[in-house]
Amino acid sequence: MMQDRGFKRKSKASSDIPSSSLADMAFLLLIFFMVSTTFRKEQPRDVEVPEAAATQKLDTPRKHILHIYVEPDGSIYINDRVVPPEALGAYVRPLYEDSDRRLVMVLRADREVPYSVINQVQLQLQSANATHLTYYTNLEQRVRRERR
Amino acid sequence: MAILKKKARVSGEIPTASMADIAFLLLVFFLVTTVFEEEKGLPIVLPEQGEEIEVSQKNVLHILIQPDGLVNIKRGESPQIQTVRYSEVSTIWRLEVSQNPNLIAAVKTAPTAPYRHMVNVLDELQSAGAQRIALQQLE
Repeated sequence: MMQDRGFKRKSKASSDIPSSSLADMAFLLLIFFMVSTTFRKEQPRDVEVPEAAATQKLDTPRKHILHIYVEPDGSIYINDRVVPPEALGAYVRPLYEDSDRRLVMVLRADREVPYSVINQVQLQLQSANATHLTYYTNLEQRVRRERR
Repeated sequence: MAILKKKARVSGEIPTASMADIAFLLLVFFLVTTVFEEEKGLPIVLPEQGEEIEVSQKNVLHILIQPDGLVNIKRGESPQIQTVRYSEVSTIWRLEVSQNPNLIAAVKTAPTAPYRHMVNVLDELQSAGAQRIALQQLE
């Protein structure tokens, strides 16, 4: 029992977790998440994108990305507005110039859209000189792919 | 007067004990509702308008996508057509490019073919490390 004395002395340190700064920490985290949260500007579209195993992550900042939605019926939407296929180039050109030629087009087209629509989108983008295009895809697992 | 005095005894301080609870509640709400939407896909650089390069036929591998998803492979000028499933495209590309490092993949898709067939072939080519890919519509 005599040997225990040393331990007793050490246990004098307070065993309470300091809780007075808890609220400060919580608010700090809260403000961080409030600031970093960005709400989507666009309405969700009914588009089922294709899958690809070679899907890459894009490092382009959000402000340099333009989404082009192509719905199953072939209608094209940019920023919640219908854009006729033949006017796409004229619509994209000023946006591309404003972005200092750094704009990247992300094509979110439905998997069943006929290729002629996609081809027209590509030709229109070429006419606006907006040549950086990404086909939005979901990552496909290799295992699933080999089973097909 | 006695009644008024009793009322004034109520503490004038804001209760701070529950502050952390409120803050954490809000914190958890934002944690749960935040979605980090990442941009992903198959990147490609289209040629600029009017930028046409003459390519020798022997450096071109024609990949013709039919509306039913079958893929016809045509090597340069040879009239021989090989019909394969798209999953074989990466193997064929690896084999062909090992013989000719200057090879260009010319992907021609039928106008009525669903977009996913083109993405499947593009996926196969990019998985096999193909850099030079041309996309066209099949006439």
